[in-house]
Amino acid sequence: MRDVYVAGIGITTFTRLEYPLSEIAAYASMMALKDAGVTEVDQLYVANMGAPRVNHQTALASAVADSLSLLPAGAAAIENGPASGAAAIKAGFQAVASGMDDVVLVAGVERMREVNNLEATDFVATLTHPLAEYIYGVTLPAHAAMFTRLYMEKYGVTERHLAMVGVKNQNAALNNVWAHLQQGITMEGILDSPEAMTNNPYVAEPLRFFDACPVSDGGAAIILVSKEKAMELGRPLIRLSGIGQATDTHAVFEREEPTDLLAVRKAAKDAFEMAGLTPDDVDVAELHDAFTILEIAESEEVGFFPKGEGHIGLEKGETALGGRIPINVGGGLKGRGHPVGATGVAQAWEIVTQLRGDGGKRQVEGAKVGLTLNFGGFGNNVVCLTFVRED
Amino acid sequence: MAREIYAYKCRLCGTMHYPFRMVCKGCKQNDYFEFDTVPLPKNGKLLTYTTVYNLPAQYDVATLGLGIVELENGMRMLGQLQIDDPKIGMAVKGSVEVVRKETYDNYYGMVFTAA
Repeated sequence: MRDVYVAGIGITTFTRLEYPLSEIAAYASMMALKDAGVTEVDQLYVANMGAPRVNHQTALASAVADSLSLLPAGAAAIENGPASGAAAIKAGFQAVASGMDDVVLVAGVERMREVNNLEATDFVATLTHPLAEYIYGVTLPAHAAMFTRLYMEKYGVTERHLAMVGVKNQNAALNNVWAHLQQGITMEGILDSPEAMTNNPYVAEPLRFFDACPVSDGGAAIILVSKEKAMELGRPLIRLSGIGQATDTHAVFEREEPTDLLAVRKAAKDAFEMAGLTPDDVDVAELHDAFTILEIAESEEVGFFPKGEGHIGLEKGETALGGRIPINVGGGLKGRGHPVGATGVAQAWEIVTQLRGDGGKRQVEGAKVGLTLNFGGFGNNVVCLTFVRED
Repeated sequence: MAREIYAYKCRLCGTMHYPFRMVCKGCKQNDYFEFDTVPLPKNGKLLTYTTVYNLPAQYDVATLGLGIVELENGMRMLGQLQIDDPKIGMAVKGSVEVVRKETYDNYYGMVFTAA
């Protein structure tokens, strides 16, 4: 297998975007192509979850290839729920590592604000089990809420811990101009004042409004290349060194221990093994905080904290910028936004930015090793990636 | 006749499944492909629950109670809750009722109340 490097990255602002879906993907891709200094690719993969349903568009990758004048490159769309982005990066890795392609563009895109909030919630809920979950009105916030209730009961996580994640990540987004939420929040405003319960009502008890990521439009892109090509292009050498992916039961209630996220555990273990790394080696991490509880639970399953102690590390500030293992310093899904198909690629964008030392106010000093965790379904399809700066 | 929700029992190894899957998770024999249907028990205890406020467009109610229940035979299922003050571990009993209405279809599922 050949080594694979990230030679270019690009992103759009995450917000409500009044542009065609393919143009959002193309905009991020143009930035990535320019950053890498290439005008041709062998293959592109476009990660997206909802185009056929939400945007009434199919065969998205063909549209993006033509829009970018990348013809006659190979092109394919990859739909893997909220883990589409990292799944597309995995496909790009395989294309380069196998020797089949030298330059691959991976773009992730979603335009969810084309429909109203109720329809967007329903669109995401279609990833649940059709007969055993979806017909009951289950939404992703409902799954996260039932999971949170168990976590509170078993490990002593409280609404205060959840709010701490929300405050940390939404305020971190203030250091990221591309992030959706550009409004600082305080514990007083969302938890500790008489107005807090009005500001921050329940979405699905015990989860509140500020425990959930916003519904966003946006795109992100990276260019994957062989080592030979990377040396030729002369960008900082960031190697995609580890990939793990794992699945879990479709119906969440079938899991033997309902507070375990076994697919997260397995994906991270495999990624570390492939990269020859341990959780202690990671300098900066992007975890999939679609809901605040997920950052806590994933930080344990990935191996940064023992099971049930993620919230204690959070309390000590270990997951904040300047802490032992800074998590979601660019805002995470909570602050940056979560255009579902784009998220896995946006996480890689943030990690590469960090490993290049381009993080500005949110830079983790001397970061050499980064990790992304892209969480699909309610933990039934998870992709973990590790990145290493090599020079 | 009372409506039922069924579990699927592998004819080869006896492993019970809910929901249905094409290949038995116990023996993984994909050349056998036969299951017997067994009605799921209706009583159990509540494992976890939530009240949802932002529902998909098809629901014209303000909030919806949902929960995961461990049934008497140890299997689990998700259902709607009609319980004012749910508690983890409480005993519940289920009945099969309409849980989702669409223009031409009614979808039936389990609705739990306090036992």
